[in-house]
Formats: sequence, C-alpha cells, structure tokens
Amino acid sequence: MEVIFYNICRLLRYDPGSPMIFSSGLFWALFLVFLPVFALLRDNRKQMVVFVIAFSLYFYYKSSGLFFILLVCTSLLDWNLSRLITVVKTKAAKRWCMIASIVTSLSILGYFKYANFFLWNWDMIVSRNFQPLDIILPVGISFYTFQSISYIVDVYKGRVAPTETWLDYLFFLSFFPALVAGPIVRADYFLPQIKTSSHATREQVYQGLWMIILGIIKKSIIADYIAQYNDLIFQTPGGYNGFESLMGLIGYVMQIYCDFSGYSDMAIGIALIMGFKLSQNFNFPYKSHNLSDFWRNWHISLSTWLRDYVYIPLGGNRKGELRTYLNNFATMLIGGLWHGASWCFVLWGGLHGVGLAVHKFCRPWLKRIPDTWSVKAASWFVTMTYVSLLFILFRCGSLDDSCIILKNILTNFDIAYLVPFIQVRLVWLMMVIFIIVAHSLPRSWYDRMRDWFVDSPWGVKLLIFITVVQFVIQFMSENVAPFIYFQF
Amino acid sequence: MRKNYIGLWMLLAVSLAAVTLYSCFDPIEIFGIELRSSGIADRLTQVPDSVDDENPDSIKRFIPAPLDTASHNILIFGDSMLEGLNPRLAAYAAENGHKLNSVIWYSSTSEQWGSCDTLGVFLRRFKPTFIFISLGGNELFVKDIAQKRDKWVKSLLKQIGDIPYIWIGPPNWKPDTGINDLIKANVPEGQFFLSNGMHFDRAKDGAHPTRASAALWMDSIARWMPNHAAHPIKMNKPADNVSTRPQSVVVLQPQR
Repeated sequence: MEVIFYNICRLLRYDPGSPMIFSSGLFWALFLVFLPVFALLRDNRKQMVVFVIAFSLYFYYKSSGLFFILLVCTSLLDWNLSRLITVVKTKAAKRWCMIASIVTSLSILGYFKYANFFLWNWDMIVSRNFQPLDIILPVGISFYTFQSISYIVDVYKGRVAPTETWLDYLFFLSFFPALVAGPIVRADYFLPQIKTSSHATREQVYQGLWMIILGIIKKSIIADYIAQYNDLIFQTPGGYNGFESLMGLIGYVMQIYCDFSGYSDMAIGIALIMGFKLSQNFNFPYKSHNLSDFWRNWHISLSTWLRDYVYIPLGGNRKGELRTYLNNFATMLIGGLWHGASWCFVLWGGLHGVGLAVHKFCRPWLKRIPDTWSVKAASWFVTMTYVSLLFILFRCGSLDDSCIILKNILTNFDIAYLVPFIQVRLVWLMMVIFIIVAHSLPRSWYDRMRDWFVDSPWGVKLLIFITVVQFVIQFMSENVAPFIYFQF
Repeated sequence: MRKNYIGLWMLLAVSLAAVTLYSCFDPIEIFGIELRSSGIADRLTQVPDSVDDENPDSIKRFIPAPLDTASHNILIFGDSMLEGLNPRLAAYAAENGHKLNSVIWYSSTSEQWGSCDTLGVFLRRFKPTFIFISLGGNELFVKDIAQKRDKWVKSLLKQIGDIPYIWIGPPNWKPDTGINDLIKANVPEGQFFLSNGMHFDRAKDGAHPTRASAALWMDSIARWMPNHAAHPIKMNKPADNVSTRPQSVVVLQPQR
C-alpha cells in the first residue's frame, strides 16, 4: 500500500516530461473525482466557480508547474484594468487602460516565447555568438494571452461588460478544457454561460462523451500511431527517397489534423459534459476548395480571432484592394509567428497570406468558371497541394530540411517503392486511408452516428468506450505522445 | 450527484476499473493478437528506484582484449531502436572498412527472435563475423521477465553461437522490470552494453532517442568497446554528423 500511495503522489506531482492531457489515464482518474463534486456544486454558482478554478489551476500546475501563478497574476491585472475601463470617464484614459493590459500580456508572451528568437536574430546581425536564455515556455500561454486580449478589447469597445468578480474572469481564463490548447474562448460567447448555464442535459452529457470518443480515436489512436513514421521522415530528411518523403508528408498532413482537431473535440466534449459550449474549431478543413475556405474551417477559433482583432482593426477590406491584400498578408504573418518563434513559421504564415491574396485577386475570374465536378476537383487538388506543401515548413525545424524534403519529393520520386511500402507500412497506410475516407463523409452522417450513440443503451456505450480505450492501449507507444499544439 | 451524470460516471468508473484489473493479469490473446494491458497496475506497484552502489553498470574493471583490426562483416538486428543506431553505425562501418547489414523487426522482443528461425535465416544469408543486438526496449515492463524470457534469450544467443557480439541494452525511459538484469545474466562479460542510466533526448513518442541522441549513443558504444568489449573491433570515430546507410536494411513487420 505504501508503494501504491508513493506512486500516486509521484503521479500527481508536476513532471515536466508528462504534462496532463485529456487522453492520459491520470486525467481520466482525476475526472472521475472531479465529476461528482462538480455535479454537487453545480447549483451553487460561486462554489462551482471556485471548485472549477481550483481544478483548472491544478491542471495547469501539472502541465506547467509554478507558472499557474503567472496565469493568476495576469488575470488579476486584466480584471482590474477592465474594471478601470468602466470607471474612468475619458476615452483616452479607457484606451490607456486597454493598451496597458495588451502591452503587459504581449510582453509576457514575448519574453517567454520570442526572447530567444529575437536575441538569436540580433546576434546573427551583429555576428556574435548566440547564448540562449534559459527560458521555459509555459504551456498554453499563446492561447490564454489571446483570450485575455480579446476580453480587454471587447470591454473597451463595449461589446462585453467586465465580469462582476475576479473569480468569474479567472474562471473564463483558466477554464481547464480550453486552457492549454484551445479552442480560443471568446468572452462574449463564454461569459454569459457562467451566469446562465445550468446542469447539462442527458443528451449533452452523452454528446460530450461522443466528442471525447471521436477525439480519442483521432488523437490517441490515429495521430499518435502515424506520427511514428512521419517523425522518421522529418528527422532525417535526406535519408529517405521521394516516395517515402511524400508518404511522410501526407501522413503529417493527416496527423496534424487528427492531433489538433482530436484534442479540440475532447476539450469541447468535456466542456459540454459540464454544461458549457465551446465553439467549433474544425469543420472538415481538408474538403476546402480554396484557401479562404480552408481558413474558415481550420483552427476556426484562431482564424476568427485574427480576423476580429488584427485584420479588421488594420482596415480589413474597407481601404481599397491593395490594402486588403496587405492586411491579409500581415494578419497571416502574425498568425504564423503565433505558432512559433521561427522563420519557418513566419514564412508559413506569409505564404498563406500570399495564397489568400492571390485567391482574392483572382476571385472575379474564378467566379466566371462553371462550378462543375471537374473544376471542383481541380480546385480541391490545388488547394490541398498548396496547404500540404506549406506544412513542410510547419513541421521541419529549418528551411534547409524543408528544401531537402521538397527536392526529394520532386526529383527522387519512384512509384516502384509503393509495393514494398505497402508490405512494410500496412497498418500506417490503412490508418491514413481510414482518416481520408472518414474526413470525406458528410457531416450529416456524423450527426446521425452521434444521435445513435446518445440513444443507445448504457451497455453499448460502455462497450464502445472500452473498445476505443483498448485500441489506444494496443497502438500506443510506451508514453502518451505530447500534443503538437502544446508547443504553441 | 445529478441523475444525468450518474450514467456517465459509472461508465467511466467501470471502464477504468476494467482496464486496471486487466493490467494485473497476463495479457490474453484473441485470434492470435495479444491484447496489451495498460500497465496501470505495474505503474502503481513499481518499487522506487534505488542506486545499486555495488554494481552500478557494466563498466567494470576489465582487462582489455587485443583489438581485432580486421574488416568485419557486421550484422545488427533488433527492434525499432535500430532506426536511430543504424545511420551512425553505418558511418563507423564505412570509416573502418567494415560491411554492415541491418535487420529491423519492429516491436520485436527476445521471445520473437528466440522462438523462431528468423535470426538463423539472416545469419545464413549475411554470414556475419560480428554482431550487434539491440533488443529489450519492448520488454521493459514485462512482469516476471526472468521466468518468461530466460529461455528465449538463451535460445537467441545459442543461434549466434561463437560469433562475437555485443548486446546493446535498451535505452530505458522508465525503470524496467528486469530485462537488463536478465540480459546481463546470460551474456558473458564484455558483451553487454548497459544503456540504462544514460541521458537521451527523446523523440515525440517519449521512448526512442532522437536521431542526434541515437548517434551519440552509438558513439558511446564505440568509445566503450576498445577497453571493455570482449572482442573489440576497429571502431575509429567518423567525423561528427556523418551518418550513412547500411549496405542493406531488412525490415520486418511487427507481429500484431
């Protein structure tokens, strides 16, 4: 018993190598403790808020250690400044309060995420040896910083009233389902739910469970399994031929979708079980026929945030055609930089910006082309090829490696490798084909499956859940793979 | 608790209990597929590490054997850890005039290699004069490992016979249940490189060393060999960052 107690205590402590993610056994066990207490306190709003905050901060502590204090301090400053905005009379003073909050949030983000990047570039310019600062990036800082900025801007613009208590704001900022990897929750959508939402209905509870199951299948079975081969390709770009590299790229395109949308599904499902609705984050993005469409359906919470808090304030499409393109480009550059402190991410964002500008520029001509099946197929192919090729930049740590992979695909491709590849990587291939087929299904099919699951007997649900869990165990490597978007 | 949550809570609790309970027993096979267990029970009952001062690792006082300067026909076989070791070992082979053939059997264990003639086939095909084994990574958490795997380890080594070899121990990412001790007990002195305790940068799966780390791992093995291996062969270090491909790489699918 002593050993078991010791091991449980060790599991509950902060371990930098094992952040808590929804698909881990530890979270599952903790959620079993959390759920009955939450259900008991749900009718008393204040107690519920305090309990969820405590759990959320522990969740954050498990992933980022003492950085949960930074989260608390950020929320305290933001909340006080938001209250100040409503108290001060002049517009200029309100504006200064908003600027102070944004500058503080961005400074913290800038220090933790971009300090080494800027220092490295500076040292390159002045030809000095680069000595990186010993900085640990707090998990999810990019997500909650964007949430805090949207809150303060919305309060300043009068779109949202500041929360009555600091606890309500801390609840919003630290809400554990969306804390470390989104979706980026918007104050105007979420804050009213704290006051008005009640117990989740039976339908919501099992819809939430359905979302979690879908998320587990995507993240823990498919993404984690296919990642093993993709990692080999991207870690040694020169060690594989064009065919293997292309397979690695296709695998990565599927992996990042399954990884991120799977985690988002789990977050949305857990929130739904608690009676809170988070906005949809992915809507079959790989069915898109153009780049604008892709960004409307990929990481929706980020793209709408960038639209509302960067693109529109820059002038959006209200200042002429050329300025629209520039605004698009600048917004995507910022979007790229948000993903990581590296020129690869900047280039990735910039090239998406170029693609969006080109699509906008060509739209008048494109509209004249009849919308036949073949045109749709060609549009889809061009869009997906562009998106996939840009994912090389996203995955590779350097431009050199990106060029090697691209060169391999273009110049060293031999279809003769197909048969040996099938023989050796059959399970991998089946998984990739499965996700491609599953992604192509109409949304109505998923809605029907969800409704069937909700209405199915309890025993069937149990059987499905245990089967999925066994699949996870069957396919997993020894450790739960960290979530790709943790690094952002 | 509200009625709406009771069903869900029961479902989560029953499934967690089932998965935990299953991890207390030996895995069962259905249609030839072994249903892996979650390892929850092992994790909870794992005795904390303690440092064995008397026997810290395989680096002991050992009279170095004379260096064999001949060119060798090297075979390396084992599990997926070869993905990392291969490129750097190939560079060593190229630098020192050896030939290298590699057989990767993904997810393989000593039981699989010891219980069939696969190794025999490759010994006959490649006729190696020196062998590296990299096995054990998939057996770190096997319960009662000494009883279960001892005969397979012995069988595997019997197939190798008199060919000089080095067994590269698994790069533990968690304490093992005895695989390193088992290998050590079966392998003569100077033929087992204990990797446990070394620091590795891990790939995203948390288990495999990254390419760079695996290259350093191979460098450590090569550095260890002249003074500690029972049959040291020429392993002069190639230039840093040089990695090549073995002469041939045979890939065997995992047994699922």
